[in-house]
This record gives sequence, structure tokens and C-alpha cells, in this order.
Amino acid sequence: MATLHVLSHSPFSDSRLSSCLRLLGANDGLLLSGDAVYALQPGSAQLRALEMMPDSIGLFALDEDLTARGISAAQRAQVVDYPGFVELSCRFDKVNSWL
Amino acid sequence: MKFAIALFSAPHAPSSRRALRFAQAALAGGHEIVRLFFYQEGVHSASSNVVTPQDELDISGEWRDFVREQRLDGVVCIAAALRRGVLNAEESQRYDRPAANLDDPWALSGLGQLHEAAQVADRLVCFGGP
Repeated sequence: MATLHVLSHSPFSDSRLSSCLRLLGANDGLLLSGDAVYALQPGSAQLRALEMMPDSIGLFALDEDLTARGISAAQRAQVVDYPGFVELSCRFDKVNSWL
Repeated sequence: MKFAIALFSAPHAPSSRRALRFAQAALAGGHEIVRLFFYQEGVHSASSNVVTPQDELDISGEWRDFVREQRLDGVVCIAAALRRGVLNAEESQRYDRPAANLDDPWALSGLGQLHEAAQVADRLVCFGGP
């Protein structure tokens, strides 16, 4: 069952991102929102970890959170807006928010 | 697709805004929201006493208008609300408190409503944290 994991905490302040990366299934997706988009910071260990994920795992980032923080999405990530977020939550079987 | 949306964060948290924008996009996309469940700090979204600075988005006001205009089932967890001082007229009377700050379109109810919404909906999407 493919799950969309939604992160919103900064990957520089806790271990949610690394725990999530360990748990991701082959066909799961990862949506970065809020401060979690800092994981796409160029040159960071977090971005390198994301780029090591297999291609079957979709990586997404919420566009307004990228814009608010002045971060441009790495090539590996697909930028989505709110209708795109809704579409993702339909595409995956369930949505797991890392509260 | 039928969505149930649960919100765990206060209206001044960015995740409350994300939940609202997600809910608006879901309806705009032709989907249905079977229930909005406000839990933990999320209960403050339903308080009529929230005053937002003029240069900031009034998210609790937007939630109220959204629930009212779209005729949604906006359920506020009663246990979480009481301990945070969010009371409707009935509860304010029951506990002999001087005022009530929860009114239409909100309903106070139990956690069972979240469980039921999760059963009825195709997707449960939770928002909380920062």
C-alpha cells in the first residue's frame, strides 16, 4: 500500500526526516511542506540523503513554502501547489503526516 | 474522493493555514469533505474570541467562514476544548463559567467522530506541528 509521507518540521532540528527515510516503502512518496523544505538546501547532507532515494519514490515540495523560504527545488523534487497536494493524496493509498 | 481532515495545531501555526488551503483545494477539485475534526491546539480555531493583528491573515475567521459557507461538519473535540477554555453556551452553563466562545457553525463532540470520519472517508489527512 503506497503511502504519501508529509513532513513539515525542519530536518535541521529533529530526526523526523531520517526516521521517515528509513521507513519509506519502494512506492511511497515524500512531500516536504513548511520548514521541511529546508531539506532541499543545496549542499546539505539532507539533500544528499534525498537524492540517494530510489527513483520509484516520489519526492515533492509545496511551492508556497519554497517561495516563502527562498529555496529553489532540486532537480529530484517535483514542485506542487495545493491542487497538486490534493491530487497526490488521491494518488497514494494513504497519507501519513509526521506531526 | 471523500476526505476527512484533522487539525491538531492552533490557528496561528502555519500548518493550520496549510490545512485550510488543502481543504479549499479539495472542494475546488470536486472532492467531498465528510468532516473537519479539530483536536488538541486545533480547538482554538473555533473560538470566537481570537483577535488576529490587522496585518496578519485571520485564519480562525477564515475557518469559520469556510465551514459556514460550504456547510461542512466542523467538529471540535469536547475534551480538548474544555481544558483549553473553548466552551459553547451549554458547557459554559454546565460548568458555571462566565462566558461562551464557541458558536455556530461549530459542534462540540467526542473523539469517536474522528474515528467515524476515518471509516467513512477514502482519505484521512492530518495537519499539525509547525
